[in-house]
Amino acid sequence: MAARVLVAAEKPEQLQGLAGLVKALGAEGEAVALLAAGREEAEKAAYSVFKTLYYVEGGGRLQPCQLHELLEGLYAEHSPVLVVGAATKNLTDALARLSARHNLPMFTEAVSIQLSGDEVTAVRQVLGGRARARLAAKAPAAATVNPAVYAEQAQGLAAGAELAGLRAPAAVLEETGYEPKKREAVDLESAEVVVGVGRGFRRKEDLAMAEELAQLLGGVVGASRPIVADYGWLSEDRWIGISGKKIRPKVYIAIGISGAPQHMAATVDSKIIVAINKDKNAPIFQYADYGVVADLYQFLPVLIKKLRERLGK
Amino acid sequence: MALNIAVLVKASLDPNMIRTRGDDVDTDSMPLAMSEYDKNAVEAGVQLKEKHGGRVVVVSALTWGPLAKRQREYEQVIREALAMGADEAHVVVDEALVPGDPLATSKALAALLEKLGGFDLVITGEASMDMISSQLGARIAALLGVPFISYARRLELGDGVVTAVRDLEDGYSTVRAKLPAVVSVTGEANKPRIPTLIQIRRAFRKPIKKYSLADLGIEAPSKPRLEELKVIQVKRKNIIIEAENLEQAAEKLIEALEREGVLPKA
Ligand SMILES: Cc1cc2nc3c(=O)[nH]c(=O)nc-3n(C[C@H](O)[C@H](O)[C@H](O)COP(=O)(O)OP(=O)(O)OC[C@H]3O[C@@H](n4cnc5c(N)ncnc54)[C@H](O)[C@@H]3O)c2cc1C
Ligand SMILES: Nc1ncnc2c1ncn2[C@@H]1O[C@H](COP(=O)(O)O)[C@@H](O)[C@H]1O
Repeated sequence: MAARVLVAAEKPEQLQGLAGLVKALGAEGEAVALLAAGREEAEKAAYSVFKTLYYVEGGGRLQPCQLHELLEGLYAEHSPVLVVGAATKNLTDALARLSARHNLPMFTEAVSIQLSGDEVTAVRQVLGGRARARLAAKAPAAATVNPAVYAEQAQGLAAGAELAGLRAPAAVLEETGYEPKKREAVDLESAEVVVGVGRGFRRKEDLAMAEELAQLLGGVVGASRPIVADYGWLSEDRWIGISGKKIRPKVYIAIGISGAPQHMAATVDSKIIVAINKDKNAPIFQYADYGVVADLYQFLPVLIKKLRERLGK
Repeated sequence: MALNIAVLVKASLDPNMIRTRGDDVDTDSMPLAMSEYDKNAVEAGVQLKEKHGGRVVVVSALTWGPLAKRQREYEQVIREALAMGADEAHVVVDEALVPGDPLATSKALAALLEKLGGFDLVITGEASMDMISSQLGARIAALLGVPFISYARRLELGDGVVTAVRDLEDGYSTVRAKLPAVVSVTGEANKPRIPTLIQIRRAFRKPIKKYSLADLGIEAPSKPRLEELKVIQVKRKNIIIEAENLEQAAEKLIEALEREGVLPKA
């Protein structure tokens, strides 16, 4: 049974954005979806734009090789012209394997996808997020998307997809351990004030200054990749950048951050950007509305004190 | 066991050095540099060689033109990997791969890896710094029909088996695969060494071999058309706050933020 579009997600909330994409493509009722989770999860996201929503019997965390096997089965059954996954690490991996097997072009983290006739056009950010590429290819093709990009199109979707269970294939790779990451309940993406910390901070304890500043302004602390991924000083939810979260606050205050394109690309929707850096030649100043050339260790205590006075706190 | 390791190294456009013509990115005049996380791939390969013995081979495809004037630049990138401790390099240079796309590039690289033959481990970066597609490793593994481990932030070898810790959104997953295998490493996998002058000089004696697609016995693979490449323009005020001292700087900054209406009201 053919379906024009096959989408894949690891979590039910990702299916919402993917359903929005299906709607935007005008493929309602001509799409099928794979959710790499159990039936209970699937029931939360059985949008009627999907003809069928496949879930995994018994649920569980699947390896990319298992996701790939499941996608192979659905690809053969439905012969879609477009396969789109949520841009998670496992699905990027699995879709690239599928693409290699079937000679498909694949557009990683597409910010827009168009289907017309047998042409697929995708726009994606390249060069560390500083440029936008438009690519076109003959269908069939694959892509990944950040589901949040299509959240708006997903407003008010009706439920009603038929559910179908799939058996998880055996994993080629043996998993010998799993350690969940710590999560915090911070919502960087909708924060009105974000204070960003980078490698200019020398010790984890020093981040308390940024935290204090953020609290004064009713904002939250975010960070560059090394602070989160390399040093592990802050949790993954606070990672700003092309491989982390995208922010759109009224004001972003970047402290001790050099301004790498991969970081700044995720801050372009900020209304105002402030940079505090001791190096007057740091690239961050080109991306900032207001720059203060100063040692953060000297400047932050003064700024915090003055703000307290001003805000009467 | 003497290991035979291939590391995939890309001569990438440097996103810090964007050149434009109007709104269009002028790729032809942008400099090439080793893709940031490919340094982690080279480092991982060299560390495994140091521990287990064997050799590290650099494998690359040139994907940015104009080819005629890129020779020195990409050789410099490859020499950097050789200076870090790789032993020899093999590069595909063919007009059909410009501009690059994972669909085409993976076929060329897989064909080259097959021609060279006998690799225990192929290591790539998690994503190239220019195209950020995160596809090459998975595609090559699929084309070669061997296991693939993506986003490894730790990597160990023992007894014909590779063990890696995958760095995922929600947790760390430790997996094992039989060799031969392909692994992509993250930017946090290690601290790439900076070669010494002597190592750089020695790298000039290490061989770099070039191949066309015809040498590899494959035809020009199809790939998507790059229809447009536009720089994302962001307009900012770029005001540097000038002040006598830190107190004054803080006051001026606070005033500016009040003017912009982005500070909470006192
Ligand atoms: C494919 C790819 C994806 C990436 N994804 C991301 C991403 O999602 N997010 C991200 O952030 N990065 C990402 N990166 C990494 C990025 O390229 C940079 O390496 C990183 O953003 C640098 O972080 P930083 O600014 O904190 O550190 P650095 O670049 O080391 O900058 C530290 C800054 O602090 C300043 N400083 C030092 N001491 C002081 C002081 N006492 N007072 C004031 N200033 C001081 C220095 O002048 C310097 O400018 C990615 C890279 C690649 C290749
Ligand atoms: N043209 C290339 N030559 C050699 N290796 C490459 C090339 N393109 C990508 N790679 C490798 O594949 C990884 C992922 O690249 P990408 O799929 O473009 O994000 C890079 O980190 C490199 O290790």
